[in-house]
Amino acid sequence: MDSISKEFSKVEKKQQEVADSTIDNIDKIINEIQEAQNRLETDPMSVSAILKELELKFKELTTKTLESHKELQKVIIRYEKIVDKKWKNDITIASNPEVFANKEKVLNTTVALHFIREGRFELANTFIREAQLDIPNSIQTQFHEMYQILGDIKLEKLELAIEWARSKSKELEKRGSTLEFELHRQRYVQLLIDNNREEALVYAKKKFPLFHSRHIFDIKRLMCALAFSTRLSTSPYKDLLSPDLWIELQNKFMRDFCNLLGMSSESPLYISVTVGATALPTILKMATIMKEKKNEWSQQDELPVEVPLPDYMRYHSIFACPVSKEQSTEKNPPMMLPCGHVICHESLNKLSRGNSRFKCPYCPHESIANQALRIYF
Amino acid sequence: MNKLNYDGLLVLEQPFIKVPLEQLKKTVKVSQKELDKEFTKSNSTVSDLSNKIKQGKIGVSDASIALEGMVGRLQSLKRKLNDTKDEEAMYVSRSKQRLSHLNELTHIPSANSEAYTQWSRVRLDRILVDYMLREGFSETALHLAKAESIEVEAYVDVELFSQARRVEQALQRFSCTEALRWCNDNKSNLRKMQSTFEFNLRLQEFIELIRAGKKSESIAYAKKNLNSFQENHMKEIQQAMTLLAFQPDTRCLPYKKLYDKSRWDALIAQFRADNFALNSLTSQPLLTVTLQAGLSALKTPMCSQPDNRNINCPVCSPDTLGLLAQNLPLSHHVNSTIVCRLSGEIIDEDNPPMSLPNGYVYSLKALEEMSSKNNGQIKCPRTEKVYDFKDLKKVFIS
Repeated sequence: MDSISKEFSKVEKKQQEVADSTIDNIDKIINEIQEAQNRLETDPMSVSAILKELELKFKELTTKTLESHKELQKVIIRYEKIVDKKWKNDITIASNPEVFANKEKVLNTTVALHFIREGRFELANTFIREAQLDIPNSIQTQFHEMYQILGDIKLEKLELAIEWARSKSKELEKRGSTLEFELHRQRYVQLLIDNNREEALVYAKKKFPLFHSRHIFDIKRLMCALAFSTRLSTSPYKDLLSPDLWIELQNKFMRDFCNLLGMSSESPLYISVTVGATALPTILKMATIMKEKKNEWSQQDELPVEVPLPDYMRYHSIFACPVSKEQSTEKNPPMMLPCGHVICHESLNKLSRGNSRFKCPYCPHESIANQALRIYF
Repeated sequence: MNKLNYDGLLVLEQPFIKVPLEQLKKTVKVSQKELDKEFTKSNSTVSDLSNKIKQGKIGVSDASIALEGMVGRLQSLKRKLNDTKDEEAMYVSRSKQRLSHLNELTHIPSANSEAYTQWSRVRLDRILVDYMLREGFSETALHLAKAESIEVEAYVDVELFSQARRVEQALQRFSCTEALRWCNDNKSNLRKMQSTFEFNLRLQEFIELIRAGKKSESIAYAKKNLNSFQENHMKEIQQAMTLLAFQPDTRCLPYKKLYDKSRWDALIAQFRADNFALNSLTSQPLLTVTLQAGLSALKTPMCSQPDNRNINCPVCSPDTLGLLAQNLPLSHHVNSTIVCRLSGEIIDEDNPPMSLPNGYVYSLKALEEMSSKNNGQIKCPRTEKVYDFKDLKKVFIS
């Protein structure tokens, strides 16, 4: 990138320079002509000399202008060369229009849902109208509610959020969410900061007992903080004031809200495109090689090479058998030997040759095939 | 795995940098041509005057009038150049903004950072604007380009597509005028590409004249406009001329095909392809390029199994991305990765996998947390069976 930027800055400089000097030169030429005209009027006798002089001047200036302009083109071509060197390949060989054929509506719906879940409702509506999509209003209403509450949390107003969490209390607890408690914690800390000790105490009495089984440790700390309410920021409880807690609360709220709707906390379109941008070089290389053999990468059952993914974008367990190196399937599931080592079913059959005793390939333990347990990741 | 592969990520940005470069090149070429033309003309005017005066053919006042005319022409040249200067400056500043946007990426330390998320969101918006413009959802495209930071507008090529849109709309109305003008503007580049678009347009105009029953006009048209293509298209011209003998309702196949109105759709498709190539735009929208790569990289055999659905996995949404991923290959993995179904975390040595007696595997940490809340008992979320924590068995994944 650095060399490209460097070459480009030359283009930038030259363009400015040449554009200005060109117009300057044209002005000069016009001046010369006008001067010649004036001289013709005052001294019509030396018309030949005046015109000869003009001719020479004219030649000089136009040649100069054209030359500098050509130089600009040269600089641009140098920049183009270095750009072309960086981007040699045609990236569209990595995409096959057939794969999405007749799926325009699905793709458009995915995009519209993306806009909705990002809270860009006006944009979503423009698109839904333009692409003539049919998306139930309820989805918009739900996300509208989410963004309203989220907006409040950002302003450190908790009433709406607390009300929502209370109404979904059971479902949240089932998912192991700590959101409801954290909302109350934050409200309590707000009261402490306002030096409203009595109200804080009343609030704590009213709300915290509901959460004692899961959060007793936190509740203890929060109650101790009461003793330091006048100088919370220099107390051992200063972490309660951290602005990060608010950010975390926003994220937790969004995640829980989406999950209760049966949706992912991050836009699936965003994830897919981000992964796609990362995966593109690998896919491109593969597509190029396969194209030479007259194959289409998108027509394969499985990609021939691994595309590395960041941890947070791994959603499913993958078991690759350490013996056969194949991925497990329903027909060839992972099996755990009594020693705890896991291999796939086919490898197990091969090793045990029917049902004879065999040694685990990874430790000295011996077992027979039917002692192995089918496991589920 | 959280390190960013900058060169890899930049692969996608080919049109981002090349489009304004092509436009700059084109503009500079136009001004070069204007300069050349006007200067040559003026140069010869001056030497001409000089000669004529010498030979006494014209008087001083004639010379003065000729010079006046030159001033006028140069002034209009100056006006034109002022316009192209602004245009050039726009493409330069656009290139600059785009380069610095890409440079921003190379200063982001890791894929986990907020900065990368922000950058990727802008990228998604850029990709979506490109998609909207190509699919003709111009209102959404404008909305999207304007709603974001002003920069996004410099990151997308709205005018390019709105120009193309005009040509396409004219073709939809069965008019070649706009398209022919476009061909004329891009003559040299189209020739370099060996494009047959202009010939096909001329051929279509010819066919339409015959369809309208204007025989003599059509012959005149062919003389004037098809002649010049004889070198490469002789066979097609011959066939087209034979069309004169056939009525529009003919059943004779090659001529029926020539009369077919779907030729206009083919013209639109050809225009798009040529226009994209001319401007260094990819032939497919970036959205489908990235989506196909991304969905394939995410797709696992589990995504299609309702029991193994993970709501956070894009491919697991059966009505949207799952449907799009249907015909794509599965991802390939040489090593095992076990994702805990309780916590969603990846299982590793610090947090090993544990099997319940029924063979269901979860991470130790998640099971510990569950048992600490339930008096040492574990309830398998998938089978609802209850076990004691001490019945767990460590699983070894090599």
